Amino acid sequence: MQFAKSNRRGINRATLSLSSMIDVTFLLLIYFIVTTVLSKPEDQLNPALLIDQGSVVEDSLMDPQIIYVQTKNLQPVYKLGSQQFSDRSALAEVLKVLPKEPGIIIKADDSVTVGFAVAAIQESRDAGFTKVTYVPASN
Amino acid sequence: MAFGSTKSRVIVPIVEMTPMIDIIFLLIIFFMVAAQFAQQARVDLNLPLENGEQDESLQESSFIINILDNGDVIIDSTEGAISMVVLENRIREEVEQGNLTWENILIRADENGAAGTMNKVFHLLNKYNFSAAKIATESN
Repeated sequence: MQFAKSNRRGINRATLSLSSMIDVTFLLLIYFIVTTVLSKPEDQLNPALLIDQGSVVEDSLMDPQIIYVQTKNLQPVYKLGSQQFSDRSALAEVLKVLPKEPGIIIKADDSVTVGFAVAAIQESRDAGFTKVTYVPASN
Repeated sequence: MAFGSTKSRVIVPIVEMTPMIDIIFLLIIFFMVAAQFAQQARVDLNLPLENGEQDESLQESSFIINILDNGDVIIDSTEGAISMVVLENRIREEVEQGNLTWENILIRADENGAAGTMNKVFHLLNKYNFSAAKIATESN
């Protein structure tokens, strides 16, 4: 702390040096900027949830459209009716022409990867389905 | 008649440093603590690279379930991996307190992990009558 020269009446007036405080403030600011880990931008998919209890899923909806996400010969595949796709672009083409009103159900086996299952949800949304239901494999 | 000094008074502005320093330190402590909480809830994962639904109207998630590629489930990085039983207890507690809706729950699952653990978590959510789920994706 620095003291100014005493005035005529002999009273010392204390003055604070701002420059040192600004130094410390900027040092802290730089420290936080450097140590901050920028999080990657995240979004989310919000499918409805339904648990498969025997034939309830099939019975509860009229003419259900179901994408089975399964593993066949150690390869993950999408099965839609009698058709089978190993890549998402082929699935996307078929989804575009399906009627959108009934919605779509995605049933994912435990063995497929999360990325492969989530891609089916994304493609369904991108194709224009507003009712997307995720059905996890039975416990 | 007595008059005071005719010299004009010079008013020296005084900056009150004490409250300013108080506020600066308060802000520093707040940001340190807030940053720590954010780190605890979100674990570094390879999320599925999808655009998501771009829906800004949804509530912020307060209950984050991280699923690692090896199937471990983490809700607080300081606690480490927890079992399905512990996760169910935590969900039950939150439900009983009325803190949880489906919009508050976010599933952050590694894209390379098997869907089995994610499916188990969905079964658990369904058990507590959650009708939908939020799955985190990494925007391209």
